Amino acid sequence: PPPAPRAASARNSVPCPPLTPLPSAPLQDIRNTVGNIPMEWYQDFPHIGYNLDGKKIYKPIRNKDELDMFLEKMENPDYWRTVQDKMTGADIKLTDEQVDLVHRLQKGQFGDVHFDPYEPAVDFFTHEVMIHPVTNRPADKRSFIPSLIEKEKVSKLVHAIKMGWIKPRKPKDDTPTYYDLWAHEDPNSILGRHKMHVPAPKMKLPGHEESYNPPPEYLLSEEEKLAWEQQEPAERKLNFMPQQYRCLRAVPAYSRFIHERFERCLDLYLCPRQRKMRVNVDPEDLIPKLPKPRDLQPFPTTQALVYRGHTSLVRCLSVSPSGQWLVSGSDDCTVRFWEVCTARCMKTLPVSGVVKSVAWNPNPTICLVAICVEQSVLLVNPCLGDKLLYGATDQLLESYVAPEEERVQPMQWVTANMEEHSKGVRLVVQHSKAVKQVTWHGKGDYFASVVSDNSNMQVLIHQTSKRWSQNPFRKSKGLVQCVLFHPIRPYFFVATQRYVRVYNLLKQELTKKLMTNCKWVSSMAIHPGGDNIICGSYDSKLAWFDLDLSTRPYQLLRHHKKALRSVAFHKHYPLFASGSDDGTVIVCHGMVYNDLLQNPLLVPVKVLKGHVLTLDLGVLDVLFHPTQPWVFSSGADGTVRLYT
Amino acid sequence: SVPAASETTDLSHLINKLLAAGNADHKYVEFDFLINGQFLRVPLVTHIEMENISTEEVVEIEYVEKYMAPQPEECIFHDDWISSVQATEEWILTGCYDQTARIWSLEGKSIMTVAGHTEVVKDVAWVKQDSLSCLLLSASMDQTVLLWEWNVEKNKVKALHCCRGHAGSVDSIAVDCTRTKFCSGSWDKMLKIWSAVPTDEEDEMEEAANRPRKKQKTEQLGLTRTPLATLSGHTEAVSSVLWSDAEEICSASWDHTIKLWDAETGDVKSTLTGNKVFNSVSYSPLCRRLASGSTDRHIRLWDPRSKDGSLVLLSLTSHTGWVTSVKWSPTHEHQLISGSLDNIVKLWDTRSCKAPLYDLAAHEDKVLCVDWTEAGLLLSGGADNKLYCYRYPATASDVGA
Repeated sequence: PPPAPRAASARNSVPCPPLTPLPSAPLQDIRNTVGNIPMEWYQDFPHIGYNLDGKKIYKPIRNKDELDMFLEKMENPDYWRTVQDKMTGADIKLTDEQVDLVHRLQKGQFGDVHFDPYEPAVDFFTHEVMIHPVTNRPADKRSFIPSLIEKEKVSKLVHAIKMGWIKPRKPKDDTPTYYDLWAHEDPNSILGRHKMHVPAPKMKLPGHEESYNPPPEYLLSEEEKLAWEQQEPAERKLNFMPQQYRCLRAVPAYSRFIHERFERCLDLYLCPRQRKMRVNVDPEDLIPKLPKPRDLQPFPTTQALVYRGHTSLVRCLSVSPSGQWLVSGSDDCTVRFWEVCTARCMKTLPVSGVVKSVAWNPNPTICLVAICVEQSVLLVNPCLGDKLLYGATDQLLESYVAPEEERVQPMQWVTANMEEHSKGVRLVVQHSKAVKQVTWHGKGDYFASVVSDNSNMQVLIHQTSKRWSQNPFRKSKGLVQCVLFHPIRPYFFVATQRYVRVYNLLKQELTKKLMTNCKWVSSMAIHPGGDNIICGSYDSKLAWFDLDLSTRPYQLLRHHKKALRSVAFHKHYPLFASGSDDGTVIVCHGMVYNDLLQNPLLVPVKVLKGHVLTLDLGVLDVLFHPTQPWVFSSGADGTVRLYT
Repeated sequence: SVPAASETTDLSHLINKLLAAGNADHKYVEFDFLINGQFLRVPLVTHIEMENISTEEVVEIEYVEKYMAPQPEECIFHDDWISSVQATEEWILTGCYDQTARIWSLEGKSIMTVAGHTEVVKDVAWVKQDSLSCLLLSASMDQTVLLWEWNVEKNKVKALHCCRGHAGSVDSIAVDCTRTKFCSGSWDKMLKIWSAVPTDEEDEMEEAANRPRKKQKTEQLGLTRTPLATLSGHTEAVSSVLWSDAEEICSASWDHTIKLWDAETGDVKSTLTGNKVFNSVSYSPLCRRLASGSTDRHIRLWDPRSKDGSLVLLSLTSHTGWVTSVKWSPTHEHQLISGSLDNIVKLWDTRSCKAPLYDLAAHEDKVLCVDWTEAGLLLSGGADNKLYCYRYPATASDVGA
């Protein structure tokens, strides 16, 4: 930076001569001695003041009227330069110099004609810093001796600060303060609409096709050009034709510019803009919160054993109440008994036809298996397990005494002949038509069989100890698919193609009719608690009914891809399984709570694969182990598999 | 110091070089290496990372001579599935699904067929061995255990006692260390302790009221014997029993527990609870650990002394099916074999719990039983009707550090 000038720059500060003296004042004879007072004070007097001698100065006689004034104005050539002296009231004719002066003052010029405001300035001191000072005066002593007075003042201040009489100045708060003008505004008031401001829709950003030199793929070919020209302007995808120019300089003015701006303005103010209240839901929230499958252990997860031996479809399975033995019936006209834990085939019972259903007596003190073969139900003692038990079973069957009078009954009970007896068959219940299902009552004395017939003889209930059969229904209500005894109460479930009817056996009446919402029910299983039922159907649905809740399904599960063949509940664990034609077994966690207010919790936990599809059939029967969380499945590939 | 990336073969070469330098007539030996009691199976640096061993300190690597692979010796054919096997120094006793027990020589020669059961033989055990006569036991699905006397010279077998009392298939028997008692576990959830001393008296059997005594007599094979004590406590079938001590019985059950019983009083001493059905249990007095095979892929090691009763020390996982039987080595505290439904017998060292030492994949069907004799013979039988024998030289010499 240049050194600061030592002396103030004096170029423009030329001292001017004072311009105040009025040129007319000394010339006028000062006669009026009233001084500088408002002259209106003398308005009502004939005089206007006093002269030096103390004599009144009288106002000049003014008797001219308007006409005279006008005439004088017209005639007197000096009228324009005649002014009235306020102090004396006399008319004064201004001289040429005076007029000139007035003109100059009006123009803002100096009064003195000879004054030149633009004289060249002469510096008293040069602005340059010289090596020698301007004056040779030595520095004041006080400039280097500390001032006693100041010292005293400072010590006083210091003392006051120490004593706390003077507080240091508060630092100034530099942050600007703002006020929220709309802090208290009601958002619902009319002014609140500004909050609902919807910004104008943005224009599309220019793309490659708008470039002055677009990539060749954006340029239109001849056919496209033709098509573009033939299209309606509103239908065109692009409202211009991409064009190529050698350089930006060669691009001509855009002819549609004004048009487009105008259209944009129309769009902006004619198009009503309002906020659409769209429901903003996270799709994740719509999925019900289900526990993780691994928290619902135990359930079967892997295939453990394969029971090989059957040569055709294995249609049905049943497991002994102890869980030691498994029985399977197959299309190869055999019934096989297996040891569960080793997959050893302990016994093979050849029968006369295809085995449609097997059922092990659920009573642990009776060792008896009911087998459906063609038109008869065989009661077989497999002679497995406790010797005492199966011996007692045989004794129980032998101890039957025929009643005195022959009762008419729809079925024939035949005792097995010697050859059959050696194979284990004890009793044969002969039906009129083919039997397709057999199921035991929980106590193990009664069993029910389903005949594939269209008459009222479809369902039969048999009593083993009395060798007595009865037909509970007087008329047919449709094709019966399967039947089931309630595990605790005297109820009997009959599934037809679309409905499940619940009968009270004691009162002998229909209690409930469940609508399955399925086209064709294939199978049915009941929860060991007795309040829930699952139905599998051929249209690949599984319906869960809560008998206390409604006659409609509580939930309809569609996990399988093909028809369901079988469903099963576990006796102890909260598990149920379904087997399907798609070759899979799906195990679900089905927790039923004692609390009536809490709905059952159904969570699919595992898809078990293993069966090979044969003849478009996969799994034909599923069954849970009575004590372990294991599931058996029998398939069309002639195997039975155990998943643990 | 050794390079971090070196593997067992590199280390083995190194040791051999050092040994050859000290001893001119040194032969090349394969070594295995242990770090803090864990076998080295991966490059050193990975192992150190996996085990969280500090690299700042000196890592001690122990070397032992590598265990040789078991050499297959015999393959003994049976007529049916082999349910159980127990071998001594001279004979092999197998239980078979054709309702017999069989005695074989170690060379695989059939010596004797012990027939008498009316159902599948589920377990067999040697009681006593003399040069003249041997006592042996067979347990069967027909709910009895038969005590046989086998005259070696005449090669005659005679049923001495028929142990009746179980109401289900007898799945497991175990003879105590004094050879005077044995314990049986059955499907009927009971454990019964019997005397294994042959006598001439018949125990009184309470009469089944509706059965004529004469008939009962004629059916019977040998003298009837009743249990000394019955231990009940399991809620499901008992799958395996053993004597872990002179007065302590250990039983594994389908109710997911292993129970330790006091044989004198018949009380449960402690219960180890798992979460799967136990198929088999084995105890090693050398390391005082229980090994259990269950209906999943794992072999679990338990400390029977632990009080809280649910402590799994280690689990050995490599099988892909149920582990049907496990057996500790009688001579080596770290080694055991296991047989599984995936047709493979595995030889384990507990110091390498990630992978077995050797896989013996000879069976073509489910392996149902394994045994390990003191002479170093590994036996395994299965559902392919074959009993495989392996000679396993248990060399545990030349341990250095």
